[in-house]
Amino acid sequence: MEALLRRRAVYVCQSCVRSARQPLWRNYSSAPPRPDIYDVVCVGGGPAGLSLLTALRANPITSHLRVALVEAQDLSKIRSWSLPPTKFSNRCSSLTPSSVKFLEQIGAWEHMARDRVQPYQEMQVWDGVSGARIEFDWAGAAPNTGTTIAYMTENLNLTSGLLKRLEELGGVSTFDNARVENITHGEETEELDLREWPVVQLSGGKQLSARLLVGADGANSPVRSFANIEAKGWDYNRHGVVATVELEGEGWGGEFTKIAYQRFLPTGPVAMLPMPGKYSTLVWSTTPSNAALLKSLSPKDFTAMVNAAFTLSTVDLQYMHTQKSGQEEEYSWRMEHTPVDHRAVPQVVTGVQEGTVASFPLKLRHADTYVAERVALVGDAAHTIHPLAGQGLNQGQGDVQSLAKTIEYAVTHGQDIGVGMSLESYVSERYAANHVLLGVCDKLHKLYSFGSGPLVPLRSLGLSAVNALGPLKTFVMNQAAGNGMKVF
Amino acid sequence: MRSSLLRPATPRALLRRPSQPPRRLLPLLAHPSQQPNPPPCRPHSTTTTSSVNETEISHFSSLASSWWDPHGPSRPLHLMNPHRHDFIRSCLSSSPTSPPYSSLTYLDIGCGGGIFAESAARLPATLSITGIDASPVIISVAKSHARRDPSLAQKLSYLNSPIESLVLPPVDIVTCFEVIEHVDYPSQFLGELIKFVRPGGWVVMSTIARTWTSWVTTNLVAEDILKMVPKGTHDWGKYLHEYELREWFSKENSREGKKVWGDARVMGVVFVPGCGWKEVKGSEKIGNYFFGVQRLV
Repeated sequence: MEALLRRRAVYVCQSCVRSARQPLWRNYSSAPPRPDIYDVVCVGGGPAGLSLLTALRANPITSHLRVALVEAQDLSKIRSWSLPPTKFSNRCSSLTPSSVKFLEQIGAWEHMARDRVQPYQEMQVWDGVSGARIEFDWAGAAPNTGTTIAYMTENLNLTSGLLKRLEELGGVSTFDNARVENITHGEETEELDLREWPVVQLSGGKQLSARLLVGADGANSPVRSFANIEAKGWDYNRHGVVATVELEGEGWGGEFTKIAYQRFLPTGPVAMLPMPGKYSTLVWSTTPSNAALLKSLSPKDFTAMVNAAFTLSTVDLQYMHTQKSGQEEEYSWRMEHTPVDHRAVPQVVTGVQEGTVASFPLKLRHADTYVAERVALVGDAAHTIHPLAGQGLNQGQGDVQSLAKTIEYAVTHGQDIGVGMSLESYVSERYAANHVLLGVCDKLHKLYSFGSGPLVPLRSLGLSAVNALGPLKTFVMNQAAGNGMKVF
Repeated sequence: MRSSLLRPATPRALLRRPSQPPRRLLPLLAHPSQQPNPPPCRPHSTTTTSSVNETEISHFSSLASSWWDPHGPSRPLHLMNPHRHDFIRSCLSSSPTSPPYSSLTYLDIGCGGGIFAESAARLPATLSITGIDASPVIISVAKSHARRDPSLAQKLSYLNSPIESLVLPPVDIVTCFEVIEHVDYPSQFLGELIKFVRPGGWVVMSTIARTWTSWVTTNLVAEDILKMVPKGTHDWGKYLHEYELREWFSKENSREGKKVWGDARVMGVVFVPGCGWKEVKGSEKIGNYFFGVQRLV
C-alpha cells in the first residue's frame, strides 16, 4: 500500500496523493477514511475488465494512468489455473480473429495456453425440423481473409493469460476477494469538488475514488445500477446446458480442419464446438425442464442424449426428454431405424467429462446507454446476448478495444477521461453495432423456435438460398468471424 | 446595440452586412507604436489602452453558467478543443527550434471557462499554464470548475486581468482561441500578446475569416436559425482573414528590421453538425481556422 502510494503517478497531483495517504495515520479517528484517488477503477475481473486494464497498461500513452481492479474472486487462483491436456473447462467461448488480433496487440495472447486453443475452419448449420443445411468453409471465399473462422478457447485460459500479462506489466492496484459494499459520490472540500466522482466502498472499509468508473461487472452490474442506467430486454425461458465431451476421433476433417456444428431444434440450437484432440464443448439451449433432466442423467444417458440431439428427429428427441433414464438403450434402438449421413453430423460422442455438465439461464439485455458522467459499461454489464452465434465475449472485446481507444484519444488531447463528452465516441462506435447483433441473434432464435407451420419451409428456403449464394455466405462468415464490413 | 458602436469608425463598421467581401485595414495593420493615441470613444473601458470590450465581456459573462455544459451553447468550443492540441503539435513539430514537447509552458489569453487551459494542464508534457480572462465572472467559473479535477491544481492558474496589465515571464506557447474576433483593437492586442512569447516559442490562435460564407454560417445559421450559439456571440465585422494576420506579422518583421517571426501555419476547420469539426484544406480562406507563428529570435 505504502509502496503503491509512493509510486508517483503523473496523472495525480502530489496533494491528492498526500490526501490519499492520510487514512494511513488517521485510522484512530472516527471519521470515515478519505478515498484513494484513481484515474480508472474497474469493477469486475472477467475477460472484459482484464482486457481493458491490459490495453491501458500496455499502451505507453495510457500507461501513466493510475488504475485499480476490484474483483470478488481470488485472482491468484485464476492466474495459476492449469488443467491436464485431457481435461477442459466447460465454459468456452469462440474468439473471432479480430478479438485474437486485439489480444495479440495488448500482449495477452502469448500468455495463454495456446495448445488448449482450437481454431476451426468450417461451420455446419442446419434446421432440425426440415433438414435444410448451410455449410460454411473458406474454400470459395476471398483468399486473403484467412482460413480460420474462430478460435475456441476456455474462458479461464483467457482470463489466466490476461492476468499473467497484467502481472508482467505491473502497476495495477488489485483488490481481489473484495466485495463492493456500496458506490456513492465524493464530497466537496475547500480544495476539491469531487461530488461527481464515484467512490467505490469495499468490504473492509477501503474507498476508491474514480475519475472513470468502469462497470465490467456482468449482467447484474452494480455499477450500472449506481449510474441509473436501465437494461431492457427479456428472458428466453431457455437454459444453456454446457459440457465437455469426448468424441470417437479428432473430427471428420482431422486434426487440421476442425468443424463447428449447430443444429436448430424447436427448443433452441444445440452446438458442438471443437476443442483440441478428441474433445469438444457442447452448448445446448433448451427449456429449463429439459435442462434439469439433462443435468440429472447418468453420463451414459447424457452422452446418448447429445448424440440424439444431432441425429434423431425432433419427435424422437422430444420423447427421450420424457424418460427419467434409459436414454442409452432408447438411442441405440432408434438409431437402427434412422438413416443418418454420419459425415454431416459430429462424430459420435463417447463420453462426458465428470463435473462439466452445467446450465445457465439465457436472456437478452441491452443497457439504455453505455456511459454516464464518470461511468462506462463494457461487456455483459452493457449487453447480454443469446449464445447461438458465439458473439457475447467478442462484443465485450470490441467494447474494450473501443473504450481503450477513446481513453487514449482523451489522454492525448488533455480531456478528462471520465466526463461524458470524452466518452461520446465510445457509445457512438459500439451501441448501434451491438444492437444490430443482439437483434439478429434474437430473431434467429425466434425464427427457429417454430416446430411446424408456415415459417418452417420459408426459413429452410432462406437457409438453402444463403447456402447457394456464395457472396452472401462469405458476408455471413465474415460477420461471424468479426472481420466483416461494419454494419454501422 | 451591437458592440460595433463602441468600435472606432472604420470602413469595417460600414461593412457589417456584406455587400461585398470586405477587406479590413485600419485597426489591424496599425501597430500601437504607430498609433500613440487610441480613439477616445470608449465610455466603459477602465483604461484607455485596454483591448477589452465591455459589451463582449457582459455577453460572455451571461454564458458563464453554461460554459461547461457539453450540450449547451459552448458545445462547438468543446468539440473544437482536441483540434487545438493537434494544431499545436503540428506547429511544434514543423520547426527544429521549437521547445521540446516534453516540457511546455503556456499562456492562454481569453481562457473563458478554461476548456483549453484545463486540457493543456492535463497533458503530461505541460509544465504550467496560466489562463487569463477579462471577465471576473468567467474566471470564477473557471476556477470553480478546476476544483473538480485533482490533477489540475499544480499546473493551472487563472488570473482575471486584461493583457495590458499582465506581468508574467515569457512562455513557450501563447494561445488565443476564438478571442481576437471579440477584441476592439486587434493590432494593439497582438502587440501586447507577442511580448509573452519566448524565442523559439509559438503564438497559436484561432478565429474566423470575414467572408460571405462565415456570415451565413456563424451569424445567420448558428445564431438566428439553428440558435446553436446565443445571439450576439459573433460580430462579423470583427472577423479576421488569415492573410491579415500574416501581413501583421510580416509588418512586425519589417518594423524590427529582421525576421523575428517565422512563416505562419494555418489549418482550416469546418463544423459538420452531428460530426463535429473536420479539417478541410483551404477552408481557412472561408471560415474558422487556426493560425500559428513561431518567434525565431
